[in-house]
Amino acid sequence: MNAVALNGLVGLPAAFVVFVVLAGRRRERLAVTVAVVGAVGTLLWSVWTVLISSRALDGSHVDLAWVAALDIRWHLGLDGISGPLVLMTTLVFVCVLGSLVRNAPDCGGTAALAALLLLIEAGVLGSFLALDMVLFFAFFEVALIPMWFVIHQWGDRHGPDAEARRRRAATRFLVFTVLGSALMLVGFVLVRSEAGTFDIVRIASTYDPSGPTALAAAVLVALGLAVKTPLWPLHIWLPDAHSTAPTVGSVVLAAVLLKLGTYGFIRFWMPVADPDWEVLVPFVAGLAVVGIVYAALACLAQTDLKQLIAYSSVGHMGFVVLALATFTVGGVQAAVFASVAHGLITGLLFFVAGSIKDRYGTGTIAELRGLYASVPRLAGVFAFAAMASLGLPGLAGFWGEMLAIRSALYPVPGLPQGTFVTLAVIAAFGVILTSAYFLALMRSMLQGPVTSATGPREPSPDVSAVEWLVWSPLLVLTVVLGVAPGLLLGPVAEAATAFLELS
Amino acid sequence: MQSIDWLAVAPPLMLALGAVLVLLVDAFAGPPRSRAAALVPSVLTLLSVLLAAVPTLMLLHDPRSTFCVTPGEGALLCSFETDPFTLAFWGVTLFGTAVVALLGTASVAEGRIPLAEWNFLLLCSATGALTIAASRDLITLVVALEVVSLPAFALAGLRRADPRAAEAAVKFFLVSVVSTAVMLMGVSLLYGATGSVFLDGIARAVALEATPRDVLVVGALLTVVGLAFKVAAVPFHMWVPDTYVGAPVAVAAYLSVVSKAAGFVGLMLVLGRGLAGIVDLWAPVIAVMAALTMTVGNVLAMRQDHAVRLLAWSSVAQAGYILVPFGAAATSSAAMAGAFGASLGYLAVYAFVNLGAFAVVTVVGTRHPRQRLEDYRGLVREEPGAGWPMAFALVALAGLPPGVVGLLAKVVVFDAASGVPWLVVVMAVNVAIGLVYYMRWMRELFRPASSPGASTYDVPGGVGVAIGMTFTAGLLFSVLPGLLLDPLLTVLR
Repeated sequence: MNAVALNGLVGLPAAFVVFVVLAGRRRERLAVTVAVVGAVGTLLWSVWTVLISSRALDGSHVDLAWVAALDIRWHLGLDGISGPLVLMTTLVFVCVLGSLVRNAPDCGGTAALAALLLLIEAGVLGSFLALDMVLFFAFFEVALIPMWFVIHQWGDRHGPDAEARRRRAATRFLVFTVLGSALMLVGFVLVRSEAGTFDIVRIASTYDPSGPTALAAAVLVALGLAVKTPLWPLHIWLPDAHSTAPTVGSVVLAAVLLKLGTYGFIRFWMPVADPDWEVLVPFVAGLAVVGIVYAALACLAQTDLKQLIAYSSVGHMGFVVLALATFTVGGVQAAVFASVAHGLITGLLFFVAGSIKDRYGTGTIAELRGLYASVPRLAGVFAFAAMASLGLPGLAGFWGEMLAIRSALYPVPGLPQGTFVTLAVIAAFGVILTSAYFLALMRSMLQGPVTSATGPREPSPDVSAVEWLVWSPLLVLTVVLGVAPGLLLGPVAEAATAFLELS
Repeated sequence: MQSIDWLAVAPPLMLALGAVLVLLVDAFAGPPRSRAAALVPSVLTLLSVLLAAVPTLMLLHDPRSTFCVTPGEGALLCSFETDPFTLAFWGVTLFGTAVVALLGTASVAEGRIPLAEWNFLLLCSATGALTIAASRDLITLVVALEVVSLPAFALAGLRRADPRAAEAAVKFFLVSVVSTAVMLMGVSLLYGATGSVFLDGIARAVALEATPRDVLVVGALLTVVGLAFKVAAVPFHMWVPDTYVGAPVAVAAYLSVVSKAAGFVGLMLVLGRGLAGIVDLWAPVIAVMAALTMTVGNVLAMRQDHAVRLLAWSSVAQAGYILVPFGAAATSSAAMAGAFGASLGYLAVYAFVNLGAFAVVTVVGTRHPRQRLEDYRGLVREEPGAGWPMAFALVALAGLPPGVVGLLAKVVVFDAASGVPWLVVVMAVNVAIGLVYYMRWMRELFRPASSPGASTYDVPGGVGVAIGMTFTAGLLFSVLPGLLLDPLLTVLR
């Protein structure tokens, strides 16, 4: 039963890729409908899978030999750490594909775009379920080529040198990510040379990292995941990729693909790193905090709306990594919570930013004025998402940041507490900076009178029915998780305790 | 008078007989009267490959050795062995030869290449490639390597009217002759130092204290240099791009897969079987060579705009990946078997993926002999039967899903070389560099064609089969990689 559920979670979107391609031969609209059906089906399937799965990793997972000679196994499992991320992923993909129904890209090829998105979903779900390091790596890579196409073929077409920019952004995204994952793979094979297996459950329970090879392995894994997450200063591929990608691409990148990095840190880095090492873990935490402050400062200087949201993601991911670098149950809770919250909120932000860009024909902040007056509902949703993103209490973003800072005050005993307290203080300072740029943005963009130069291209349609439909799950969940964080924190705590006890 | 195990020598013998038959049929039949008649040599070639595959399969669980001598003391020394290692290479070689023979049929339509001679030379060369994998003494090894190379010179210059073909052949010839001379020098030093030409005999002498170390090292080095020319390892790679571009595409495919595999098998035999005792001397040298090879290949491939030249540089880079496990062979006693198994696995994957790419290049070459990357515009949309296999071959060469088999081949190499972390990190960086040019090509495939119909082809039947064979293998092994990798990786254990 469990095996069917787990394999199906990867197989269902993959199967729908084929259906979408076949439907696309006949009519594009039909293909998009099929894709939405596939995404909804996957969402329901994922809910069912999470319901029947236990919260901690037990023996009830899929475990078959894939390449026996190398001991690479088809090993899938779900627990309270991956469960929330899986649900978030399937939900975001429903929203993303739903948005394609009415809002097809100008350049056509909607069927192909939908198929690629489903392929990315299959890869991402596979990564969240994989319990074998090489399998994780393989699924991790599945999403790359489709994402390269999404950025390259359906990216931003505004401006004179749009094609060259798209090409640069897409290739930079791909090369950076592959470099990162290749280094991660080097780390994995080094771990195997020490621990004798690629199986992360066995590694978590038996592997005791010590010695220079183990350290090198942990450094390489961290380096690879840091590119994906991204951690400062390896984030330089991200702003370009986000701002150039089409709206659906930006949403998927920010809400889902970045989580591969943070999830990888929790599942595949924490067991192979030892908090007793003097430098590595505090160094990673330090980079995360530098990222928080750097991203906030960079946001203050941004002129492009999507670039600004992209940089704000760097900051949020900094909180996630700071939290998990404490190696505590609270830290893992905070990291998972902040990941899910960021997925919902930033997904929403990118959706709204895309809508604004479609209506106004520009994403330059200086050219956007008086949105409250011309498109009040759209502006309202944007304000809501921005408030959630800056960590307003009562919305989901708050708990992630608060818990991250709190966990940094009480790191695991092996870690230097003084350093972490300092980092927590700096991170808290980052929260203030985050509020500063979002408030400044809202003031300049939403308020003020409408002038003819800054009005929308056409008589401005406000939020359409489809947009409401697509955005409402994100809006609702942002509130629900903000009011009742225990819904998520409970299962995560159980899984995190079990997972950390293994090591 | 000793007896000969005819079953063991049957596969190379089949190819040799096939070669003679092709030549005779051509001599007596006269010039072909129809297109179907023109295909007869190709059909004969494929038949002899199939006939060679039959005894290969019969030998599968039945290792044999023949041409043995009993020295004064110690165990039997044999010149010709068919162990699983040999059979694995035979499989790669026979598959490669069949695909290349199919690619050759594309030239029927062009009429520029005499098909009978082409098939004769191909079979001769493949005979050498089979023999080298079974050779267990240095003399057989050198002779077999020459049997691989000599017909290949003629193959490279087969387009007689083309001055670039002449350049290709001459360059290839000169480099090969020099490399053979260097290798013979090395072989003679090894013989002088150890008193045996048999690899096992050399291994025994290496283990003795009395063997002069410095002569041995120089001999080993020169032998490696000779073989490094064949596999086009940097800095002995300069002949590759010009030769590939000047030769017919099918010959370039042959050089990049079968002839290269012959070089690798030579390296593995000499280093692994004969000189395993001084592994800590040669492994670091090869590690540096591997790092240079992949870096130079990838960096120079980035700047190419000519499809075949790009594949030439990419094949240099891929040879670097195959060399990587050699560089890690010294780390432990079990490391050597694992390392060579990994090289073998990567080589097998590279073989059919690269042949797939060359097959599509052959198709595009029928209309665009200039072979610019732009000529591939719109291939996926207008000629999906060639476009998708090409896209698959490119992602598999780059090592990304959906080319899972290419990805796992890289995992295999990473894993085998994990004892030398710096080398694996260099390779990781190179994998990322390689993406740049593979994706540049990929982009052309998916761009809409500049003018409708500019990228539709009538794919010659034989080439279609070749594309189908390589593509099917790629897809099958991407889903079930264990089928291919499990036996190959355990060959030496």
